[in-house]
Amino acid sequence: MSSVAKASGTGRMSSQRLLAFGLRFYVVVFFAYLFLPLLVMGAATFNDSRFPTVTPWDGTTLRWFGELAADGGMWQALTNSLIVAVGVLVVAVPIGIATALFLNTVSSRAKPFLYALILSPLLTPGVIIGISTLIFWRQFGVSGGIFLTVLGQATFIAAYVMLMVTARLQRFDRTMERAALDLGASQWQMFRRILLPYLKPAIYSAAVIAFLQSFENYNTTLFVVGYDTTLTVYIASKVRTGLTPAVNALGLILILFTVVLAVAYEVKRRREAAGAVKGV
Amino acid sequence: MDGSVRLEEVVMRFGDFTAIERTSLEIGSGEFFSFLGPSGCGKTTLLNIVSGFLVPSEGQVFIGGEPVAGVPVNRRPTAMIFQNLALFPLMTVFENIEFGLEVRGVGRQQRREVSERLLALVALEGSGPKRVTELSGGQKQRVAIARALAVEPRVLLLDEPLSALDLKLRQHMRAELKAIQRKTGITFIYITHDQGEALTMSDRVAVMSAGRIQQVADPMTLYRAPATGFVAAFVGENNRLEARVIDVEGQRQRVRLDGGALGELSGYAGEGARLGNGERVALYVRPEHLRPVNDASGVPRFEAEIEAVHFEGAWVMLETRLLASGEKLRVQLGHEVSRRSADSLAVGRRMAFGYDPADAVVLPDDGSPVVDEATGEVVETDRGATPAGGAHVPSA
Amino acid sequence: MFRQLRARFGGPLAAAILTLLGIWLIVMVTLPQLQMIDYSLRPNLLPAQVGGPEDGWTLANYITLFNNDIHRAIFFKTLWSSVLVTLLTLAVSYPLAWYLAKVATPRQAALCILLLIVPFWINEILRTYSWFIILAFRGPLNEVLMMLGLIDRPIRFLSGNGGVMVGMVYAYILFMVFPVYNAIESLDDNQVRAARDLGAGTVRTHRRIVIPHAKPGIATGCIMTFMLAAGSYAVPALLGSPGSRWFTQIIYNWFFEGGNWNQGAAYAFLLLVLCIGFMSLVMRVFKVGLGDIAK
Repeated sequence: MSSVAKASGTGRMSSQRLLAFGLRFYVVVFFAYLFLPLLVMGAATFNDSRFPTVTPWDGTTLRWFGELAADGGMWQALTNSLIVAVGVLVVAVPIGIATALFLNTVSSRAKPFLYALILSPLLTPGVIIGISTLIFWRQFGVSGGIFLTVLGQATFIAAYVMLMVTARLQRFDRTMERAALDLGASQWQMFRRILLPYLKPAIYSAAVIAFLQSFENYNTTLFVVGYDTTLTVYIASKVRTGLTPAVNALGLILILFTVVLAVAYEVKRRREAAGAVKGV
Repeated sequence: MDGSVRLEEVVMRFGDFTAIERTSLEIGSGEFFSFLGPSGCGKTTLLNIVSGFLVPSEGQVFIGGEPVAGVPVNRRPTAMIFQNLALFPLMTVFENIEFGLEVRGVGRQQRREVSERLLALVALEGSGPKRVTELSGGQKQRVAIARALAVEPRVLLLDEPLSALDLKLRQHMRAELKAIQRKTGITFIYITHDQGEALTMSDRVAVMSAGRIQQVADPMTLYRAPATGFVAAFVGENNRLEARVIDVEGQRQRVRLDGGALGELSGYAGEGARLGNGERVALYVRPEHLRPVNDASGVPRFEAEIEAVHFEGAWVMLETRLLASGEKLRVQLGHEVSRRSADSLAVGRRMAFGYDPADAVVLPDDGSPVVDEATGEVVETDRGATPAGGAHVPSA
Repeated sequence: MFRQLRARFGGPLAAAILTLLGIWLIVMVTLPQLQMIDYSLRPNLLPAQVGGPEDGWTLANYITLFNNDIHRAIFFKTLWSSVLVTLLTLAVSYPLAWYLAKVATPRQAALCILLLIVPFWINEILRTYSWFIILAFRGPLNEVLMMLGLIDRPIRFLSGNGGVMVGMVYAYILFMVFPVYNAIESLDDNQVRAARDLGAGTVRTHRRIVIPHAKPGIATGCIMTFMLAAGSYAVPALLGSPGSRWFTQIIYNWFFEGGNWNQGAAYAFLLLVLCIGFMSLVMRVFKVGLGDIAK
C-alpha cells in the first residue's frame, strides 16, 4: 500500500492534485455518510419528544432509558436472542470447523460440487433459508420458535465459520502433524494438542462473528421465530408500531456494545497478525 | 537395544513412477549411516519408508530384527528430525521435548527429568521455559534433536536437518551431531545432498541416484574407490577422460589405456570391475591429484593451456584445456605448489600436469552423469525407467 | 473421502467430521430447499385433502405470479431496483476502495478499515432505523434542506423507492467495499505507475488496468449486494410505504397473512432463481469462478 496516486508526471500536476483532493474530500463525505445516521439516532435518544427525532429539540432527557428498562417485552426478546446466539454457536462452530477440516483434507472428484454446496448458504437470501427451514420442519410437527431460529441461522453462519477456520488452516504446516505422529501421538492426540491449539484464534474469532451474526439477524429469523420474538424482530416491530425514543435508547446501547466489541476484536486480531509476522 | 535396520527387496512406486528401484540394505545398530544424493534421487522416500509415513510397494523393512510392516508411524521405534524441524510453535521448549512422553502418558515429574537431562545433553540448560519462537536457528536445531531423543528411539532419522543453517553453524552442528550420536549410541540415518555432511559424519554412506543405490561404503572408500561413474563424479570433484583399455594387470586391476589423442594413460579399476581389452572406459582423475610435472617425472602427463585461474585462499583452482584432445581439465594446486610456481600460473600459459596412477580410477563407460554447466554440480540423471510423459515426481 | 479423513484424523474424528458435514449439507441445506420446491409445486390443501385426489404436482403457484399484475410488477421492480442498488453501491464504493488500497498511507488505511468495520457490526435494523429518523417527514434532512432554503415544503422521502434505495446502499456498502478493496490491493503499484508513465490518464488507467484486475472483487461485491438487496425484508419494511413494496414482503404475506405456504414457497423459489440467475450472469460476464468469490 503505497501512494501511487501521488506519483505523477509534472505535466498533469494540477489536475492530478485536484483529483487527489477530490478523492480525499470524497472519503470524508463517505465516512460522514456512514456515521451521521448513527449519531442522529443516538442523539434522538436524549430528546424529550414523544417521537424519535432530533428536530425539533424538545429538551434533553434520560427518561427513555428508564422506559426501556421497564419494557418487559424487550427483556424477554433479549433473553431469546441470547439463547438463540448460544445455540447457533453450539451448532455452527463445530460444523464450520468440521467442514474446514474436510475441505483441507479431502481431494476428490466430487469436491467442486461439494464446495459449491457448502458456499451456497452464503449466496442464498436469508429469507429463503428461513422459509425452507420453516417448511422442512413442519412435516415433523416443529413450528417456528427458538429451535428453528437456531437451525435457520446456523445454516449460513456455519459457512462463515468455515471460511474463517479455512483461512488459518491453509497456513498450517502439515509437517507438524507428521512430527506429532512420529513422536508417538495418536491422531486424536495430534488433533487435540497440535491442530486444535493452532486453530484456536480462528475459532474464537469465528465464534465472536457467529454470535454477532446471530444476534443481529433479521431476514432469516423473521420466518422461523414464531412467537419467541428475538431482539431484532422486537425492534423492527417497535419501529412499525408504537415507536418511541425507547427504541433509540436500545439502539444506542447495542451500538456502544458492538463498537466496544468490534474495536477490541480488531485490536486483538491486528496484534495477533503482527505477532504472526514476527514469530514462527 | 537393537537399532539395526534392514531393507529387504524394497520397491516404491507412485503410479507409473518408480521412486525406489529394488533395494536391499543393512544398517548396523549404532551406526551413523547417510543417504547421499541429489534431490529427487529417492533418499527421502526411503526415509519415509523406514519411519512408516510410506508403505513400500514391495519388500520388507526390519527394525531391530523385527518386521515393521503394519506398524503405524506412531508405534515405530524411530524418531524423525524434519528438514524444517517442525517444532511446535505454540509450545515451550519443555513442552516440545516432553510431547512424545506426554502422549505416552508419562507423568509430569518424570517428563521434566528427561527433558532437563536432554537439554543438558544438547547444551541448552535453562532454556526449557522459553517459547521455541524465541530461539535462534542453532538452538531450534538442538531442541529438535532433544525432542526426538526424548522418546528413546532405536533409530533416529534425520532429513537434511542442517540445510536451513548458515555455513559456520552447519559445520559446528556436524561435530555436535556426531558427538551426540557417539554419546547415545543410537542408530542415525541421515539424509543429505551435501557430501561434506555425509563424508564428515558418517560411518558409512549410501550414494543414491535415480532411485537406485549406487554404492555403499565408508567415506574414504567412496572417495578413493568409487564404484560407478556417478559416485566418481558426485563425491568430490573429478575430471573424466574417455579412453580404451589396452592392457590389464593384477587383482585390483591396473589398466593401461589408450587415451586416443592423449596417448597411453594408466589407473586402477575397482575390485568388481572386469575390464577387457579394447573396452571403452572412463578415467577419473581428481583435480587435487594433479600437479605440475617436468618431462622427466615418468608419470602419466597432460599438456594443457590454462584458461582461468581461481584463487581460493587455501588453494588455486586452474581451468585448463588439453592440447591434444581439447577436453577440459580442472587442476587444484595446494598452497605449497602454487607458491612455488606462482609465476607460471597465468591465463594462456601452457603447462604439463601429471598424476600418480594409484590415484586415478578407471570405470566402465556408463555415460557421464549430467553436470550442471553453471554450477558444476551433478544433477539427477534422466530416469530411463520413467515411461514417456509420466514424469510426475511425488512430493512425499 | 472417509479414507483420506481417517488417514489424517483417525476413525472416530473422521466419522464425526463427516457426520457434522452430512447433517449440515443434507438436513440443513439441501433437504429444506428441495422441500421448498416440492411445496411450491403442490396446491394449498386442507390437511384432510393431503394425499387425496387434488394432491399432485402443478405449476399453478407459479402461474399465479404471471396472472397477478401487481405481483409481477413488484417482482420486476425488485429485480430492477436491486440492480440499481448494486450499481449505486459499486459507484459509491469504488473510489473508497481505491483510496484505501492505493492512496492512503498504511496507517490511514488501517484506521479507515476499522471505521468501516464498526458500522458493519451494527444491526441492519438499527442502521435502517437511523435512516428512518433522518428521512422522516419532519426529520432532520427536511429541516436542513428548508433551513438552507433549498425547499419550501418538506419532502415525503419515505413514500417512494428513493428511501429504500438509500437505505440499502447504506446497509450493504461494506459487502462491496471489502471485496473490491482486497482485489485492488493485490494490484502491483508498478502497473499503475507504468500506465501513468506511458501517458494513460486517470480514467484510462482505471478502465484498462485497475478495473480488469479488480474484476473478481467487483463480481463478488455485486453478487453479494444484489443478493442482499433482492432478499432484504428489513429495509423495505422500515423505509418503504405500501406503494413501494418489495417482493420479499409479498412472500411474507403469503406465509403469515395469506396462510398459503405453497404459494409463498413458489415465490421464494422464484426469488432464489433470480439471485442464482444474477450470480451466473455476473460470473459469466466477469469470467470468474466460485473459488474467486469465497475469499
